[in-house]
Amino acid sequence: MEEGQKKAHRKRHSGPKAVRKKQRRLKELGIEDEVDPQKRNPKAFTVQSAVRMAKTFHRAQDLKTKKHHIPVVDRTPLEPPPFVVVVMGPPKVGKSTLIRCLIRNFTKQKLSGIRGPVTIITGKKRRISIIECGNDMNSMIDLAKVADLVLMLTDASFGFEMETFEFLNICQVHGFPKIMGVLTHLDTFKNSKQLRKTKKRLKHRFWTEVYQGAKLFYLSGMVHGEYQKQEIHNLGRFISVMKFRPLVWQMAHPYVLADRMEDLTNPEDIRKNQKCDRKVSLYGYLRGTYLKSNSQIHIPGVGDFTLREVGFLPDPCPLPEQQKKRSLHEKEKLIYAPMSGVGGIVYDKDAVYIDLGGSHTHNDEEEEQRPNYELVQSLIATHSTIDTKMASSKVSLFMDSKPLASEELEENGYLMPKEEKVIDSETGRVRRRAVFEEEEMAESEEDKSDTESEAEIGNQDQIDCEREIDPRPIKVMKLEEKEAEAAVERPVFADADDFEIDSEAEVTVDGYDDEEDDLACESEETFMYSSDKILEVSAMKNDVERTLNSKQKVEKLSLNLVNSASDESENDLDSTVEQTEEGSEIMENKMLSRDCSDSEECNEDYEEKIRSDAETIGALKWKEGLAQRAADVFLKQQSVLNLQKLVYGAVSENEEEDEEGDDTLGGIFHVNRPNTASKRKNSSLDSSVFHVKNPHNWDLEEVMNSIQDCFVTGKWESEKDASTLLGEDDSVYGAFEDLETGEVHTGQPGELKQNHEGEEDNEGNVDSRNTEEELERTKRLEKKRKLKEMFDVDYDNGEGTYFHDLKDEMQKQAQLNRAEFDDQDNETRVQYEGFRPGMYIRVEIENVPYEFVTNFDSSYPLILGGLGNSEGNIGYLQMRLKKHRWHKKILKTRDPLIFSLGWRRFQTIPMYYIEDHNGRHRLLKYTPEHMHCSATIWGPITPQGSGFLAVPSVAGTSKDFRIAATGVVLDLDKSVTIVKKLKLVGFPFKIYKNTAFIKGMFNSALEVAKFENASLRTVSGLRGQLKKALRTPEGAFRASFEDKLLMSDIVFLRTWYPVLVPKLYNPVTSLLRPSGERETWTGMRTFGQLKHDLGIRMKPNKDSLYRPIERKMKHFNPLHIPKALQRALPFKSKPKNQEKLAKETRDKKPVAVIKSAHEKKISALLSALSTVNAYKIQKQHKKEHQQHKEFLAQKRKQEEAKIKRQKEARKKIHRMLGQKEKRKMKSSLKGQTEA
Amino acid sequence: MAGGGGGGRAVRWEGAAYLRMRLSLAALSGRAVRITGIRSQELNPGLQDYEASFIRLMDKITNGSRIEINETGTTLYYQPGLLHGGRIEHDCHPQRSIGYYLEALLYLAPFMKRPLKATLRGITNDQMDPSVDTLKMTALPLMKRFGIDGEGLELKVVRRGMAPGGGGEVMFSCPVRRFLKPIQLTDPGKIKRIRGIAYSVRVSPQIANRIVDSARSILNKFLPDIYIYTDHMKGAYSGKSPGFGLSLVAETINGTFLSAELVSNPQGQGSPVLPEDLGKNCAKLLLEEVYRGGCVDSINQSLALLCMALGQQDVSKIQIGSLSPYTIEFLRHLKSYFQIIFKIEAQPMEERKGGDKVLMTCIGVGFSNISKTVT
Repeated sequence: MEEGQKKAHRKRHSGPKAVRKKQRRLKELGIEDEVDPQKRNPKAFTVQSAVRMAKTFHRAQDLKTKKHHIPVVDRTPLEPPPFVVVVMGPPKVGKSTLIRCLIRNFTKQKLSGIRGPVTIITGKKRRISIIECGNDMNSMIDLAKVADLVLMLTDASFGFEMETFEFLNICQVHGFPKIMGVLTHLDTFKNSKQLRKTKKRLKHRFWTEVYQGAKLFYLSGMVHGEYQKQEIHNLGRFISVMKFRPLVWQMAHPYVLADRMEDLTNPEDIRKNQKCDRKVSLYGYLRGTYLKSNSQIHIPGVGDFTLREVGFLPDPCPLPEQQKKRSLHEKEKLIYAPMSGVGGIVYDKDAVYIDLGGSHTHNDEEEEQRPNYELVQSLIATHSTIDTKMASSKVSLFMDSKPLASEELEENGYLMPKEEKVIDSETGRVRRRAVFEEEEMAESEEDKSDTESEAEIGNQDQIDCEREIDPRPIKVMKLEEKEAEAAVERPVFADADDFEIDSEAEVTVDGYDDEEDDLACESEETFMYSSDKILEVSAMKNDVERTLNSKQKVEKLSLNLVNSASDESENDLDSTVEQTEEGSEIMENKMLSRDCSDSEECNEDYEEKIRSDAETIGALKWKEGLAQRAADVFLKQQSVLNLQKLVYGAVSENEEEDEEGDDTLGGIFHVNRPNTASKRKNSSLDSSVFHVKNPHNWDLEEVMNSIQDCFVTGKWESEKDASTLLGEDDSVYGAFEDLETGEVHTGQPGELKQNHEGEEDNEGNVDSRNTEEELERTKRLEKKRKLKEMFDVDYDNGEGTYFHDLKDEMQKQAQLNRAEFDDQDNETRVQYEGFRPGMYIRVEIENVPYEFVTNFDSSYPLILGGLGNSEGNIGYLQMRLKKHRWHKKILKTRDPLIFSLGWRRFQTIPMYYIEDHNGRHRLLKYTPEHMHCSATIWGPITPQGSGFLAVPSVAGTSKDFRIAATGVVLDLDKSVTIVKKLKLVGFPFKIYKNTAFIKGMFNSALEVAKFENASLRTVSGLRGQLKKALRTPEGAFRASFEDKLLMSDIVFLRTWYPVLVPKLYNPVTSLLRPSGERETWTGMRTFGQLKHDLGIRMKPNKDSLYRPIERKMKHFNPLHIPKALQRALPFKSKPKNQEKLAKETRDKKPVAVIKSAHEKKISALLSALSTVNAYKIQKQHKKEHQQHKEFLAQKRKQEEAKIKRQKEARKKIHRMLGQKEKRKMKSSLKGQTEA
Repeated sequence: MAGGGGGGRAVRWEGAAYLRMRLSLAALSGRAVRITGIRSQELNPGLQDYEASFIRLMDKITNGSRIEINETGTTLYYQPGLLHGGRIEHDCHPQRSIGYYLEALLYLAPFMKRPLKATLRGITNDQMDPSVDTLKMTALPLMKRFGIDGEGLELKVVRRGMAPGGGGEVMFSCPVRRFLKPIQLTDPGKIKRIRGIAYSVRVSPQIANRIVDSARSILNKFLPDIYIYTDHMKGAYSGKSPGFGLSLVAETINGTFLSAELVSNPQGQGSPVLPEDLGKNCAKLLLEEVYRGGCVDSINQSLALLCMALGQQDVSKIQIGSLSPYTIEFLRHLKSYFQIIFKIEAQPMEERKGGDKVLMTCIGVGFSNISKTVT
């Protein structure tokens, strides 16, 4: 733009600034503005009408309060989970490209294939998980429920598509996450005006859908297959500063957007039965609210499950630690996308694949925290292969055992299973480590035993960087020579994956078969220990003595275990032992270990005792002194410190006791344990009264003194004591200067002092200057606090509304919530509050259908939605429902619909009804077209107020709008109250005056009795009442009406019949289908669909059929006007001709003429002549006709010739004219020069 | 998987103990319960009459419950329905007093579909369970702390019936709430007044006065503000058996209530009790309760903890005296039904302020009343 065309500055003409300016100028000029108008004309500002004023005040107040939202306690965790950003749009709109660009923008990494959520760090305090949303209804519904922000992509060259609107509606129903529109394909517009117009049009449409002023981004063009860097950067900025609103459903339910899945099923089970139920573990950030272990979850598309095990893992994508720096360090821009293959790691359902070439940032980070970092480093630095190292390495399993070398094992001739998959073991490693942190001991014990067999499995040559070492490796095992190698080996075996154990078991069996006797003693023991299977094998193969021997050894081992784990918590140990699942010997150990863990904290000596027992004597020696130990434990528990354990520790013990039930010792003896539970129940009466066991003697003075301060008459705390409070008030208000008189008043510090002195004297002379100063300081602080409080009270006086109070209360609660468990470590916190949102957790689920694993597709969202109390149950739901205005058809009662409610998607059969004015729920056949109605379904109990939507089918795509209805849950019940109208029909058989006897309505007198006094109605509209049953005929009754009935009348009784809601609850199991068929899930078909599919046509009522229309000629009778009337008619209207025609006079009638002979001759002659004449005339006529014809032909010829001539002449003339014109033109062209 | 009614994750128990707790928590959590081995080893096996009566009461206040009891009554399967409420009448079995049934109703009443208006008939005061007078004076103010207040919350003793005959009648009404408020009660405050009610039926009306005098003689040493009402019911309002008793409540400046009560031996059981002894002993029991201390008295510990557990997902704190065995069991049950664990901190004994105190902290499970209708 040029300089001259810049807009000139416009002066302000209104507003406070302009007014001030104006006044200043006037002042300068000396013509002061008139006095304040309010002073000049006070009448104009007085109250004109009190009513009006009240109204305005009311209105202002209304508007003010309307802005308030109900305050809620802010429950967002300190370190929130990554926000879920869902990228949504119709196909081919550029979703994946956008995700790739965003990831690149934030982390400078390029991802090849994006599957599942990608978690990235976008700022110092912000992480996001980006996930792409496919276009099938299932994914859209699922993701709308977990989204915090939706990026809604639209192809601008095409305009909005149905998917967009559908998704918007889904979002609206399930709480409205933030929505940001993104327009792509803007480079297809060649015309800039059209582009502008399109942008505007789309923007306004978007605004009407979301809200006025919703953010819409424009991505103008592509550069090398990516969006423009600056635009993506701007979009990224917006995303990373966006504020999110808390959504009710999400805040009230824990949920996980799983980013990793593993199949943990025992391979042996799978081998036996391909279709066995699976055990899987799922990983992801916990969002929403606290998740308790053992709670129920719903996986949309799969079903309901109970959490088997939950554990938290270190955050794979942690926020940067310190917040000092201005921007993120490059190293801190982490990315975590286990299913997408970041840095070359791809997690699959049963394996992890590593591309070693890749480097990944967060690995480095994690390694730094680990003790074995240098080990791994050294390992990476080494050049010899694992195989060679294995061969030369030795490991000792126990402190006092001989170190083992791999050669020794090879001598045993074990088979070495070849492994193709590179990292198989590492997967397990990672997994194990994460959850069974506490079990590591047991595992490592186990693993040690595996060492021999697995040492040969040398081709497990991959070293995972994430592999970690046991925190207490030295206790467990001594690394003999090459520490590094040993450390490398151990983790490999430390992973006691089921599969591996199995394979090993087989291997060992082989080993036994081959050379049983050659077994080295150590290896044998360890094998027995390694797993129960092996134990069984050994039991079979070896003689009894050897088993006994092994038992002893096992004993020893487990004791070692106990020893090493003395500082671990009880649960850990229990689970460890359970995990190992050894034989009965170990079961005994289990009890033992539990015992010792009960008294874990400082019971070292006691453990030692056990150990010595076990070592010296044998398997059953541990029972000695059990009572003594129990007593010790009990005493400990009695102390107040152990209250927690008293309450909850005992419970766990009992539970286990129950679980164990009747164990058999070595398969022979039945262990009969005293059932503590039953003991407890016998002793206690089911009453909440807490009887006093040892009552105090309340007559004694000291006993009475012990509660003296519980009464207002007792001594008060110093800060609440009335006298001190008075003194303080004095000191607060004490010193002041009277400004008028200049007098200075001072408080009486002396008094306070005296008080202190008195107190000190009481306590004894511990006086030192320090304490005095301290006291002074506290006093001062107290005084300050009081002053501040007073100021606050004064200041807030105006604001002290109910709303503000409520808000303050909520804030206080939020602070308390944050502070309460803040200082505790994660393990304890998890115990009290459950898993916090923001944690990265691992969840184990059992009994998952095998299709889930076999058909797993990481590109579909996998959500674990936590269910609240009783949300796993099923009942009747009453809901307010409205057919979506864009849906083409109205909905029919009893047609199955697919609902999305809570976390779930399910098919059910709704019954629509409307509430009549008297509260009756009347069944509707169809939903009203533009009105709400109610619906009742049989479905999962979901809290009232939850929104839902219904679609007729999730299969395929259709042009039409797929969302059939939306609404909200109003009520939950276990019974329904819907009725439908029922008309009973009867016929009168005897009629008196107003009384009639009716029959045919009922079948028995009993039925009639039920309807006595019911109102009746006839077709003709007479109202009546049912009186009493008659004896005969059966079912007839007497009724009275308001008038006399006719025999032809039909009598109705209108009544209501309760309707049952069909109990269909059919979850949409879309995730169990192969990935190609996920969009084609169909449940129950509607009646109409079924008939259509099967080609069944309903036989119509014959009367309803159309027939050809036969129209008969209508015969009209002649109009007859009576004579009298005719006479009276005026002449004009009188019928006129009829009479004449009717009456023929005699003389009018034809008369027969009889001719004479002469006359006959004459007439014959005449007729002959006339015939001749006629013939002549005819001939003449013919001739004339012929002549005329010729004439005409001749004339036509002449005419044609004439026309031809004329035409030619005209042609000639035109030619001439044309030539003339041409000449003229030519001449005119030349003419200028000529003329 | 999609099994109806949570049958898949039924809670299993063995033995007859704590039936009340187990069933009412099941109704709240919506989880089915299977109890086996109910007195299977005893001479009189199976459910007792009073337990059967309680199960019938549970059936009355719920809609859609399924109760299966085997022939001998030694196993019980209870699949809870939705709490319905409304106007109910129940004849409580005279083996236990109304307090036994009322305590369970106190747990459940705030979470019904319609406000509960229950008329319970039976024994109002006996030696086993908390009496209706005590519950009225302690449990109702406690419930108010959790936001269950308003007009509807009321407990009225219409007729008094003593053991063993019974014949009393109590009206209990409670409003419904969707959510409970979290509480922070860490300071019980000092006791400012003691109130009580000395009742006598079918005995000399003078007995109540004698009880009052003897109780005052003990309590006056601590506090001057003592008023014990005498309640002598006659005729149709006096039930079927003679008896008398005293229930005392101490109120602190922070609004906590500590109670104690004592009832005469039922007619024909045990030796007769002197009203003076009863008054004195009851006053001493109140002092014991004061010694235990806390922001809630020993009989209402479980109610307070339940309301805390069923609160919003906020921190609730309460200081209580030593945990009663019943409360301990209740905590264990809460854990198995709601997976909620309380943080239990023992607080050191303070000079001249009674015995050990315990600070209970928990985060509510975010319970909401799913029965209540919204419009």
